[in-house]
Amino acid sequence: MERMLGEIKMIGQGKSWLMEKTMHGKVTRRTVLQRTEPSDMLQHCSLAKRSCILLVTANSQLEPPVMDYTVSVADRMNCKVLATYVHTQPLFWQGGTQQDLFTAAIEQNGAAFKEKAAARGVEFEFVEESGRISQVISRLCRIVKRVEFVLLDQGIKIEEAASASPVPVFNIVCTDARTGRMIPHHQAKKILKGEKPMKVTSRKSHFWQTILFGAMTAVFYAAVFSNADFIMKYFTKGGLFALLPVATVFAFSYAHGSFTSNFWSALGIEGSKGATLKQTRTVEKRSEEKRPDTRPRLRADA
Amino acid sequence: MHGPIAETIQFIDLNFASIVFLIIVGFVGGLVSGFIGSGGAFVLTPAMMSMGVPGTVAVASNMCHKFPKALVGSIKRYRYGQVDIKLGLIMGVFAEIGVQVGIMVQKNILDRWGEAGSNLYVSVCFVSVLVIVGSFVLRDALKLRKAGGDGWVKPRLAARLQQIELWPMMTFKRANLRISVWFILPVALATGMLAATIAVGGFIGVPGLMYIIGATSIIASATELVVAFVMGLGGTLIWAFYGMVDIRLTLLILGGSLFGVQLGAIGTTYVKDYMIKYVMATIMLIVAVSRFLAIPRYLNQLEVTSFTAGSVRLMSQMSFYIMCFALLTGAFIILFNMFKARSEENALIMARAEA
Repeated sequence: MERMLGEIKMIGQGKSWLMEKTMHGKVTRRTVLQRTEPSDMLQHCSLAKRSCILLVTANSQLEPPVMDYTVSVADRMNCKVLATYVHTQPLFWQGGTQQDLFTAAIEQNGAAFKEKAAARGVEFEFVEESGRISQVISRLCRIVKRVEFVLLDQGIKIEEAASASPVPVFNIVCTDARTGRMIPHHQAKKILKGEKPMKVTSRKSHFWQTILFGAMTAVFYAAVFSNADFIMKYFTKGGLFALLPVATVFAFSYAHGSFTSNFWSALGIEGSKGATLKQTRTVEKRSEEKRPDTRPRLRADA
Repeated sequence: MHGPIAETIQFIDLNFASIVFLIIVGFVGGLVSGFIGSGGAFVLTPAMMSMGVPGTVAVASNMCHKFPKALVGSIKRYRYGQVDIKLGLIMGVFAEIGVQVGIMVQKNILDRWGEAGSNLYVSVCFVSVLVIVGSFVLRDALKLRKAGGDGWVKPRLAARLQQIELWPMMTFKRANLRISVWFILPVALATGMLAATIAVGGFIGVPGLMYIIGATSIIASATELVVAFVMGLGGTLIWAFYGMVDIRLTLLILGGSLFGVQLGAIGTTYVKDYMIKYVMATIMLIVAVSRFLAIPRYLNQLEVTSFTAGSVRLMSQMSFYIMCFALLTGAFIILFNMFKARSEENALIMARAEA
């Protein structure tokens, strides 16, 4: 413990703090280095007191089926969950906004995960990490003493993760319910219909899309109103010409709908971050209902 | 033009004031539709008619703007995980049948009692449905508000109906319910019939989805947009077949309403569940008052009553303004609560970041 260097950012339970850790920590630019005594650190880290499952992903977001599975296992085993989002290329320069987007996406995804865990009464924390997967697992297993096993999200090679792990490592794969075949990672995202993976996009990109779709909409309007007589002549002919107004409004709804959506996003008016949480809360409530225990029991009849 | 109807239609010339008016009414209507699933379109038909647009063209153009608006709104709300597409499509198909039944009923009334009788039937439907359903929804919303508005309890009727295993049973994952199609059918038919009668099927569709089928108000209002899309598309094809759609009017309303519908959909993510019921009930009850004031005119035409011409004119004008007031009140409540909740959320995030 005395050799700990670097940092881990714990974001669980709505507050963040910094801890020192072993090995070569990749220091992100948000880091404030400070040295803490091991006893203090353990006092802060509630996960150190109880056995836990370490879930590791190399993405900024975990897919809902993976979250559900982990929470379900933790619930059955009465364990806590520590989700670790690992930034595997922290020094790769991608215009400067990459780290902020990564952190923002993690915070959103972590909040959704926390809500799922809370619905099942499972304690949960998540950390943002950087470096090689094997090193991160090794580091966390030393700091958080009672890691029972490690679960790997899709996209991580189990050989790499297991090479430095002191505890068993399992990987999660999504399989097709009908064929039983493994679904590739990029397709696994489509499993939960109706809920798109959380995406963090910048206001700058919304601004440019607003300009693009706004121009497209303006061209559409100009085309219709500058040729109003010609258009009205054919659009009101009826019969098969009925398809003309319908097709026109479909084209308009695409261009103008995208424009208006990006317009509000560019102004910073977007859906609440808790929007998806409200829905998961409703779904989880149902799963809380206990199934009747129909197992046969021994009876001692006098 | 196709058929004898379209040949007699005169399409109006548009000026700057009417363009601005249509865009603003479209925006407010879209805002309400995006939030409560429907209900924004009922002002548009009388508003267009007040500009001199013939009644059939006003209805057709309104219908033609409704389905792309519902499409954009439902896509937006689908992204928030609020739409049950399967439930919406099934309801939409049955509602389409309801629309046809509603049109037949209307036609029979028109043949028997003439235009005044038909208008009276529409107004009586308006007032009775809106008062009964609106007061029930308002009572429920106020009860939820009093309780803090956090919990959602499945209505007793819906819970009982879901327990009845009557073939064919269907499971709706997003709405998180399993119910027999036989209970969806009457709700959808009534939605379609009301849409054919007063142009806003959602005043039955959304409460039906909430209290009979058992969806939450957020899911119900979002799924109603899919129903509105299916009904609107079907209706538009029929009206366009007769050459009744004025595409210029449609595009102008659409210009404002797509801004509104996006904002309304965003608003649903900030407010508590009861707020949708609250807004819906408020609009329904104010519109009921508005339509009540329109009844004496038709009663006079049928020679049942004998109000003076001046008082009938005054009541008709008041009816229109109260309808506009209903829409504006709904829009105000939505915007106020949305921005209030948004600023509270931002303040919380800031406080967490500082801590």
